[in-house]
Amino acid sequence: MRRLWTAAAVVVAAVALSASAVNAAGETIGSCIFEELEGAQFEGIEGNGFTAVKELKTRYKADDDHAGELIEEFESDLEGCLEAPNPIFPERTEIIWGGLAFVILLALMYWKLFPPVKNLMEQRTQRIQDAIDDADRQRAEAVEVKANYEAELADAKTEAARIVDEAREQAATVRADLQARAEADIAEMRERAAADVEASKRQAIADLQSEVSDIALGAAEAVIGRSLEDPEMQRQLIDDYIARVGADQG
Amino acid sequence: MAERSASYADAVAAVARAEGNLDLVSDELFRVARALEGSDELRMTLSDRQIPAARRQQIVEDLLGGHASDTTTAMVSMIVAAGRSTDLAGIAQEAVELNARDRGRSVAEVRSAVALTEDQAERLAAALSAATGHRVDIKVIVDPSVMGGVVATIGDEVIDGSVRHRLSQLRDTF
Repeated sequence: MRRLWTAAAVVVAAVALSASAVNAAGETIGSCIFEELEGAQFEGIEGNGFTAVKELKTRYKADDDHAGELIEEFESDLEGCLEAPNPIFPERTEIIWGGLAFVILLALMYWKLFPPVKNLMEQRTQRIQDAIDDADRQRAEAVEVKANYEAELADAKTEAARIVDEAREQAATVRADLQARAEADIAEMRERAAADVEASKRQAIADLQSEVSDIALGAAEAVIGRSLEDPEMQRQLIDDYIARVGADQG
Repeated sequence: MAERSASYADAVAAVARAEGNLDLVSDELFRVARALEGSDELRMTLSDRQIPAARRQQIVEDLLGGHASDTTTAMVSMIVAAGRSTDLAGIAQEAVELNARDRGRSVAEVRSAVALTEDQAERLAAALSAATGHRVDIKVIVDPSVMGGVVATIGDEVIDGSVRHRLSQLRDTF
């Protein structure tokens, strides 16, 4: 940064110096008119310079026609001082000073201004290049991230589709199992109910038979019990037993 | 247990033979065993080891004194003191059979709802002897559960002519 300021100061000084040099070498309108008056010489008038001009003026006032012509000619010369300088070809001194100033300025610029400017430009170029590289890198990363994201998204969609399919299959399997189990349970319940009915029926018949037999046996036992209270009956039973045992032998 | 009962019966028979009254002792022992079967309280008392042996022997002597021979009382007292009152029925059965074998006879356990008359007992013994082919002595046990008729057991053979058995058969046919 300090080099940059130094270069700027050198440039300003060179411009100032060159401007002064150009003004000093230039010719003003006044000096041009003064030189024309100082060197004036007219035909038929002795002397030169301001004296000759005064004499010419006196003759013109005396109605000397020739003097009038000379004055008109001299006024043309003076008007020549009012003409503008050549816009294409400057004065030689101006060219010299300008060229010198330009060379000095160019040297100073090469010496002091260009290196820092070059450095600045290189730094700026490097920054821009870095920024471009960084942008490229970020863009590449973004592309990669996008690709990864799209791949993951595709995987997620595939996975989601697979999960949905599996869930659907499992739901179908579970539904089929439940239906089969329910049908089996219903069939089993029907069979069990039929078996229960049959068992109840058999049990009822058996209970009825048992009840009837108990009643019959109870009645028989009551009758027999009453008859066994008779000692003669007991004796008869024992005698019958003895006779039967004896008959078995016989 | 049967082997132990047989050993005790051998000892009882040996003592009774020595005293010359095996027939009486075996019969009394059989009756005592039947009486013990009919009384749970007496059976539990005589088999209770918490009661001193001398006390249990005293009970036996009090019960049998004057109602049974001295040999029978001594044998039952010895069995009870040895803590074998629960085996008394088996010992008595073995003793009866030993006595019968000594006399060339078999023993028939006869259960009846009422007591048999002497005539009935003699006819039954004769019928059983004829049926088995050898002489049989009968030991009658009055058992009301028989209801009527007779159940005779000779060794492993049972001849059941009881009313209880007939009712059971009738129940089975239903």
